[in-house]
This record gives sequence, C-alpha cells and structure tokens, in this order.
Amino acid sequence: MSEAYLGIDVGSISTKGVVIDRDAQVLASRYLRTQGSPVVAIRRLLRELGEMVGGETVISGAGTTGSARRLAGVIVQADIVKNEIIAHAVAACRFHPEARTVLEIGGQDSKIIILRDGIPVDFAMNNVCAAGTGSFLDHQATRLSIPIEDFGGLALKAKHRVNIAGRCTVFAESDMIHKAQLGIATSDIVAGLCDAIVRNYMNTVARGKEIRPPVLFQGGVAANVGVRDAFERALGQPVTVPEHFLVMGAVGAAILAMEETEGRQTRFDGFGTADIEFETRAFECDGCPNRCEVIETLRAGQVIDRYGDRCGKWSEAVVQPVR
Amino acid sequence: MKATFPLLGYDTYALKTFVEDLGGEVVLPPATSKKTLEAGVEASPELICMPFKITLGNFLEALDMGADTVFMAAGARKCRFGYYHYLQERALARSGRPFRLIPVSQYSPYAFLFRLMPVTFGVSPTRVIRSVAVMFYKAGLTHEFRALLNRRRALDFAGTERLKPRALELLEAARSTSEIRAARRSLRRLLGCNGSRPVLRVGLVGEIFFMIEQFANGDIEKELARLGVEVVFERSLLHHLRHLLHLDWSFYRSRRLARRYLRECPGGEALRTVGEAIHFVEHDRVDGIVHVYPFTCMPENIALEALQQLTEDTGVPVLSLSFDEHTSRTGLQTRLEAYVDMLRRRSRERSISRD
Repeated sequence: MSEAYLGIDVGSISTKGVVIDRDAQVLASRYLRTQGSPVVAIRRLLRELGEMVGGETVISGAGTTGSARRLAGVIVQADIVKNEIIAHAVAACRFHPEARTVLEIGGQDSKIIILRDGIPVDFAMNNVCAAGTGSFLDHQATRLSIPIEDFGGLALKAKHRVNIAGRCTVFAESDMIHKAQLGIATSDIVAGLCDAIVRNYMNTVARGKEIRPPVLFQGGVAANVGVRDAFERALGQPVTVPEHFLVMGAVGAAILAMEETEGRQTRFDGFGTADIEFETRAFECDGCPNRCEVIETLRAGQVIDRYGDRCGKWSEAVVQPVR
Repeated sequence: MKATFPLLGYDTYALKTFVEDLGGEVVLPPATSKKTLEAGVEASPELICMPFKITLGNFLEALDMGADTVFMAAGARKCRFGYYHYLQERALARSGRPFRLIPVSQYSPYAFLFRLMPVTFGVSPTRVIRSVAVMFYKAGLTHEFRALLNRRRALDFAGTERLKPRALELLEAARSTSEIRAARRSLRRLLGCNGSRPVLRVGLVGEIFFMIEQFANGDIEKELARLGVEVVFERSLLHHLRHLLHLDWSFYRSRRLARRYLRECPGGEALRTVGEAIHFVEHDRVDGIVHVYPFTCMPENIALEALQQLTEDTGVPVLSLSFDEHTSRTGLQTRLEAYVDMLRRRSRERSISRD
C-alpha cells in the first residue's frame, strides 16, 4: 500500500487530474474536456483515475485548482483549494528548479509567472479578453478543418510567414480569411497566427516583465509546436516544454495537498465520491439592490456550499465551511 | 435645499458633516450598488471612465429620493474628470428630474470660501471657514478610522466585522470638533490592536475614487484583510482637501520621489501614485503595492509603466487592477489570492534565509 496525492485542475475547456506519489512522480494522469459541465467532468475524472491507480493506492491528500477550483474542492472534499498561479509555479519549481520564467497558455486564459530561486516573485494574467488563448486556436483549427493536433506542425512547414493581426480574435479571423482569399498557403497563415498569438501575449500579459532563461512553457497550448516555435523566435532563446505540461496545474495542486496534509488526516473520502449525486443551482438574492447571484452546491440533496454574495449572509449560513 | 453629492466611501461622512454644518439638508443616495451602476451606465457615454458612471448613478438615485441640489467637483487639470459635471448636468436634465447642479472648482479655494459657499448657503465666509475646519477634522477621523479598521481586520477579520456597525455609528454621529475628538478616542479604544501588526502589508495607490469607494474597487481592503493582509494608504479626502489648499506636504514628497521615473506629470494623479508607491516601499517597507484605476484612465496607465520599473529596481511586486463595469469579482478574487499567496511565500523564504 503506497501513499499518493490527488490533484485536480478544472479549467474552462479541460479538466485535468493526476495522482502522484511522495516524490511527485506522476502515477496516473487524465485529461478530459470540461464541455461546459464541470460536475460531470469531475465525477468522470474521479472514476477513471480511481480505476487507473487501483485499490492498492491510498490517497492521503487532495488539492484542487483552476477556475472551478472551489466547486471541485467542495465535491472531492479537498484539503486545499489554490489558485492556478501558485499551482503552476509549485509544479514548475518541482520539475525544473532552475526555471526563472513560466509561460502558461490555457483554454481561456494566459499567464506569466516570474520565478527567482524557486519562489514566484511576480505574475500577470490576461485581464481583458481571451485573444490568443487555446479556445481561439481550437476554433480556427475547426474552421480550417485541420485536427488541432496537426495545427502546430503545419506552422513549421511555412515558407513565408505572413502577418496576422493578433490583438483581437475577431480581427485575427477576418485577417486570416482575407489572406486565404488572396491565395496564400494555409501553412503560412497558420504560422502567422502563431506569431500573432505570441506577439499578443508579449504585448499584454508579459508586458513589462523581464523574461530570463530558462523559460518553461506549459498549459494546453504548449502542445502546439507552432506556438512554441514562435515563442523561441520572439524570445531568441530555447523554450522548454515540461513532460507533464498538460497537467502541471493538477500536479501543483497535488504537491500543495501533500504539503497541507503533512501530519494530519485528509478530508478526501475516496474515489467513491464519483457516485454521489451533486447539483449546482443559482438564485438571485433580493435582500438589497446588489441582487447578488448566489451559487449553491448540493451533495445528495443537502446544501454543502454557497458563494457569490457580497455580504456573506448566504455563504456564512452554510454549516460546513470550505477552506 | 436638499443637497446631494457623490458617495466617497467612508469620506462621505465628512462631506455630509460639512454641508450640515453650513445648515444644509443632505439627501444621501443608498450605498452604491449594482443598480446604481446600471442606472449610471445607461445614462452615460459608453467609453467614459467608471467614476463618471457611478457618480451619475448616485445622483439619479438621490434625485429620486427628493434631492434638488447636486454638488460635483469640477476644474480640469490634465484629466477629463474636470469636465464630468458638464456632461452629467446634461444627462440629468435628459432624465427629466428637476435639479440644480453646482460645480465646485477644486482649484479656486478663495472663490469657494468667499463666494460660492456663502452665496449657496446664505452664510458668512467666517461660518464657511469654520465648517471647512470641521470637515478637515472629520476627514482626519475617517482617515484614521480606515487605517485602524484595515489593521484590525487583517488580524481578526470576523471579530472586526462584528464591531464595524458600532464603529460606523460613532463615525457618523460625530458632528462638532469636541464630538469628533470624543469619537476618535472611542474608535481607538474599539479598534486599536495594542501594537500588534499583521505579517503582510501592502500599499494601496492609484486613482483616488477607486482608492476610497468600496463598491468601485470591489472592497479590495476588505478582501485583502480577509486574506490577512493590512492595506496601508495615504490618499483620502483629507489629503485631497489639504492639497487643494496647498497644505499637503506629502504631495511635494511624492512629486520629488516620482521624478525618479517620471520627469513630467502625465496628468491626473500619476505623480502621486508613483511617488506614494516609492514611499511605501522605501519608508514603510511594505511587501507589495496594489494599484487600482479605471480601465480607460490615461494617467494611471502611464503610472503603471513607472511602477513596473519600480518592481524591477526594488523587487517589490505590483498588482495593477483596472476596473470597469464588466470587471468580474471572481477574476479579482483569483488575482488577489494569487498575489497574497506569492507575497506569503516570499516573506516565508526571506525569514528562513535570515535565520
């Protein structure tokens, strides 16, 4: 029987889960599409991870991260619920302690984390729109009917990279169509798009940040060799994609859970949680003109969590608090 | 006359005391809410900055409650804020409500003391000067209250939140100088924390409205306190009033310090933002700087570049947050959490390496 830790990262587009051992070696990992319903995705993730690790492994700690970290934390009864920045930074430092810059592009957000001696010292997130993130690449691949897996490879075949406007997805798309109508090869356009995404990233997210080597590139978009190549061209230095780049957030959450449960019992009560019914519903509070939208989560018909109220009258009324 | 003016967080109490001391009746709109913002957005040009929309919403709500006279700060110096009142007057007229808007220039203290206020309220200039003194005194009280609250809340969040209604009562009720003195003593007793200090402290800088109005900034001081962080600040109505009377020494210090990064004033409060940030880092030894401003604010966007330089030179991270009506609370929460986590890890590392 070995000790293991569970990490779950529920993002807008994908849901990632890993089980790691005490040395942060990944025992099992799973990458699913969230498809708009995180509850379903989390339950499926638990079931599949449970099957992968088998009955021998005991989970001694669980952590969640990602935009639905709170919901995931409530469902799996996580020991720690942490934001994506810290989770990514922790995982990056574990596998590449020498790293000084982490570029992360996910489904709908992108961030940069500056590390010095293994500590995050500065970060930034895209704050206005999702231009240049995974979902836009996904959309363009679908539009050109190229499988997303081949999209990046196509960019490497480019002979003359064209210039695509990357500030806004709407402009980028019309620019791409315009270039295609001029008869420019698809590979050149895709390469131009990769450049545009990198340019947009450097001008918004990474603006004013000092990018020092070694540079890590993680998150779903790191799978795209075209974007990675564009980053290397723009930065003039090699960019490393870590082995578990897809699930780094989840790995970070698992490492944080390991730190958190040091010397005490986990609250996680097994992969069997996947079989319990969960429901999430929203209502508008009419207590004041703010009309907050309150989200509540029910576990087997019982309210276990509420949030979204500014004043706290609903969230504080729940008996079992979430850390 | 039933007077109203924009809500300015806790400093609203100081303005209210001033108008009441002059013998005016004050009609305060309800605390700024999503409804206020919606009303303001509907009556505003789309691309104008957030403070315009929020204050216009406040005026509309106050007029509905029977206010007939609107006081709005005016006077343009390198920022479009000075022109707000012209546009707001038109927007209010379009809404069909009867009212009178009195622009109060920020840059003519003598006209204010000897002409505008005496004529508006039918009192002598001596009386106005006395009321201004009371307002100063009260603004000092709200400033101190906020500082006490921020520290106490960071140490004991739930306990302090329970004390807050009582503290606000004390704050609102104090009207004369002797009452204000008594309230100050009571507040210090109520919210004092016997010299203990939270582990993490951040300095708040930016555009003044966003620094003092809780609805506008998502009550950032409260959210940071919930995470155990004390917010240190310098600017409030008190300093603004001092500045208008050319009595604000901290401004000259900020301007001098800011010269390190900005040779010219790019407008608005950019010099103060940068100078205060440098002061907080070098003098108060804060762990971080939080910079808040409206999304389209040109001066603060320039200050942002200077603050990035500051980070590079000193290693103190700056969290810049721009706000507009689309700003999501979840996004704000994620950034604040990540920022505080980062500060905590840094300070832990520092204390380990010191041992």
